[in-house]
Amino acid sequence: MNTVLWIIFYPLIAFCIGILYMGYSRKFNARVERRYGPSWIQPIYDIFKLMSKRTNISHGWMHDISILMLLGGTILTLMFIPVPGFSFFSQYGDMLVIMYIILIPSLGMALGVGETANPNGSIGISRALMMLAGYDVPFALSFIGMGMLNHTTSMFRLIQIQQAHGIASWGIVTNPLLGLAALIALQGMMGEKPFEVYIAPHEIATGPMTEMGGKFLGMMFITHAITIFVELTIFINLFLGGAVTWIDLILKQVVVFTLILSVNIVFGRFRVDDAMRFMWKIPGSLAVLGILFIIF
Amino acid sequence: MKQKITQRSAWDRILAKLNKRSLWMLHYCTGCGAIELPPTMTARFDMERFGIVPMVTPRQADILLITGYLSIKTLKRIILSYEQMQAPKWVVGFGSCTINGGMYWNSYTTIKRLDMYLPVEIYIAGCMPRPEAIIQSFDTLINRIDKGVANSWKDYYTNYDFYRKNQEKVFGEIETYNDIKSDAEKFGIK
Ligand code: SF4
Repeated sequence: MNTVLWIIFYPLIAFCIGILYMGYSRKFNARVERRYGPSWIQPIYDIFKLMSKRTNISHGWMHDISILMLLGGTILTLMFIPVPGFSFFSQYGDMLVIMYIILIPSLGMALGVGETANPNGSIGISRALMMLAGYDVPFALSFIGMGMLNHTTSMFRLIQIQQAHGIASWGIVTNPLLGLAALIALQGMMGEKPFEVYIAPHEIATGPMTEMGGKFLGMMFITHAITIFVELTIFINLFLGGAVTWIDLILKQVVVFTLILSVNIVFGRFRVDDAMRFMWKIPGSLAVLGILFIIF
Repeated sequence: MKQKITQRSAWDRILAKLNKRSLWMLHYCTGCGAIELPPTMTARFDMERFGIVPMVTPRQADILLITGYLSIKTLKRIILSYEQMQAPKWVVGFGSCTINGGMYWNSYTTIKRLDMYLPVEIYIAGCMPRPEAIIQSFDTLINRIDKGVANSWKDYYTNYDFYRKNQEKVFGEIETYNDIKSDAEKFGIK
């Protein structure tokens, strides 16, 4: 019974927390630019506005389905990520599963954007997939490294091991190189600057979102909120010792997210090839070094 | 413009309260007026306070801000962009050039009155209007949305023949990609 309730409400909780982070990021950026900024719940207004649009232009059934694939894939990923109180599915799927299904949303988006036939969208999607190849290498390596270090690929088990001796057994302390690599990869994963190449509003008009308006964009906003939660929680579970309580989890998420936002606000945007090269060179080699440390 | 009082359900009122807090703007910078927008967006006047943010594609935008004179060539692009926007959508004419031709009154390449071609919700007078005036006009727009009287966009669907006639007077035969009348029927806009 408890599990059923969790399955129903977990995406809802993740959405509510994620949407506050979206508001927080806008307020944060505004305050750094010495503006007053929008209200904290601005993304909620945005979603209501988008969902209540009177006309809605669809480019075909693939376009409609892709949005569902985006949301569905994200919720599926969410289900496999253990949080305090809920780790039902993580018995059935370990980190390798997460690594696979986290790709579903991007692929879904690629299909839908292909159908809209907007050149900006296609450029955006090709950049997004390139960026994916960029950050996935260091991220996968640090996944694998943590698995080798702790002799397990189960995220739940990993959290238990990390919580055994307090901070001293956190992943970021036991292997800081892998932690750093994953943190940089996380920046790319969340699409924040300097790795914002596939949104790039001034260059390719928000890339994949170019043709998305009204309810499509509203769904994308909802997905984005959940994605923020998913990505932050993956990092915390791998390197910051998971969380014992929800307050613990949110505290850690805010700290990591603030770190990422502070990097985001001071940087411009890399060129696509530069971003790729950076991802493979710096965090990539950090991760390889980290793995070498584990082996020898 | 005469305000039509319509009956609104409670849900419509709630939606209006939420929608007025989030307006995305596509600024089509045709004329000189675009130079007043950066100060409106940045730290000094900061229009994001009201939830107004610049957007880059017509699909995502709610407000089409037309900053200044419109040559015949750009008018065509504006009509295409406008038709791509999702309703409810509002056109804001910025500067005297959009109201009556302004100092380009004698020009042979510019149009004089924007509201002959697109349904304009609000005009901002001035050559060029200061950021205060822009903020003031957005405030007016927000109030009109709240009261449920910002319905100029419906005019384009219900009164399309008028706009089309004027457009064709300028361009001759033009090809637009949206069938406005069937859209109006499909989405039930009256
Ligand atoms: S109204 Fe004045 S400032 Fe604006 S476009 Fe016309 S001439 Fe330029």
